[in-house]
Amino acid sequence: MTTKDFTVKWLAYALALLPVWLMECFLLSRYPIFGVKPMLLPLAVVAVATLEGGAAGAGFGLGVGFLFDAMTPGVPGLPILLLALLGLGVGLLAQYALRQDFVGCLLCSVLALAALDALRIAFRLFTGAAPLGAMLTLAGKEIGWSLCFVPFVYPLFLWVYHRVPKATVL
Amino acid sequence: MKDFLKQNGILILIIALLLSLITAVFSLTFGGLANPFVNLAGIVATPFRNGIHAFVTWTEGVYSDAFEREILAEELEALRQENARLQAEAREGEAASRENERLRDLLGFQQKHSELVTEPATVTAHGSSNWSSTLTISKGSANGLAAGNCVIDQYGNLVGVISEVGLNWSTLITVVDVDLEMGGLIARTDGAAIIEGDFALMSQGKLKLTYLPEGTQLLAGDTILTSGLRSGGTATYPSGLVVGYVEQMRSDDSNMNDYAILTPAAALDKLEQVFVIKSFDVVE
Repeated sequence: MTTKDFTVKWLAYALALLPVWLMECFLLSRYPIFGVKPMLLPLAVVAVATLEGGAAGAGFGLGVGFLFDAMTPGVPGLPILLLALLGLGVGLLAQYALRQDFVGCLLCSVLALAALDALRIAFRLFTGAAPLGAMLTLAGKEIGWSLCFVPFVYPLFLWVYHRVPKATVL
Repeated sequence: MKDFLKQNGILILIIALLLSLITAVFSLTFGGLANPFVNLAGIVATPFRNGIHAFVTWTEGVYSDAFEREILAEELEALRQENARLQAEAREGEAASRENERLRDLLGFQQKHSELVTEPATVTAHGSSNWSSTLTISKGSANGLAAGNCVIDQYGNLVGVISEVGLNWSTLITVVDVDLEMGGLIARTDGAAIIEGDFALMSQGKLKLTYLPEGTQLLAGDTILTSGLRSGGTATYPSGLVVGYVEQMRSDDSNMNDYAILTPAAALDKLEQVFVIKSFDVVE
């Protein structure tokens, strides 16, 4: 893969991320369903990591982590590391343990969202900010609602994946 | 450059760790001021936020015109009746106010007044996290805003407190956020209590009033105001801002302490214009 191919490829993924980001941050956040808004940016990381593998997933996760950190209140800086780790983990899981397809992406999405919410719950339990029952209810609703968007997010990045240069053909 | 990412997975993680640490350290050092990355992201996102906000507001307006005309007509009639009742109350209150002024003059007290220096701003985005309740507004440090400034709506109801300031944007935590805690005053009884967000109530858009004075009997609809006292955090709040109304009373898990569930006075999900209180002078 040449430098130009490399640039075109990641520019295409960045452009595909744009509608996902706009939907999550500016549109769906205005209309919560049962008081819950979906998490789409982690789904984008999972989709790209599933298709491209661990190292590429980590790189994409790092970039998305910046956006997530900038747009979501919480522990500053932590999303950058978490999403990079998530991209690496999901990529490796999809490459070596699951299939690099929609089902693999769906399973990885469940695991990724559960891991992110588990960390949030652990942090809030540590700071004593909220009761466990209420947090588990919220996490369950959040994961369920977010998973409804996998059938939209995965095909978007799959479409890009089929049109960008690849180092290896799956 | 070939297979760069594949060969550099660990390097990417190290870069992520370093960036994460830099961001965290900056945020801890300059609490309330957005770090350069977040500030840049906010500045870049501003045109998108404004554009989408304008489009969504226009769409909602068209929908309201088409499908909510009857509801709006009913609301208008109800407001006219309430206006007439309030005008009658105001006329009765004028005499009491004049008497109060005379008595204060006699006793040499300063006259009651409330002077707020405000900066109008537009709500351009609602927070996307389910774990906090935030809004993004269209003004920032360039307009003299700072973390800790109170934000009210056009009716003077408290919306929240600014938590992070960028150059041309700010993020505020709303009154239902779990991180918000402040002194409250029960308008009917003058009793002091604590207003705080609650995790379970946040998704319902409500908050609670705790540490109620002994023997307090709250009624549904009682108005809760800011007391002006500080309770944690760095913000100082002007007194007399309407925070919300009592919806119902409940007891905590131990059945030892009562608390009240409040409905915010500000319509947090429908806000378009807000006013940031940059400074205030309140004499009671």
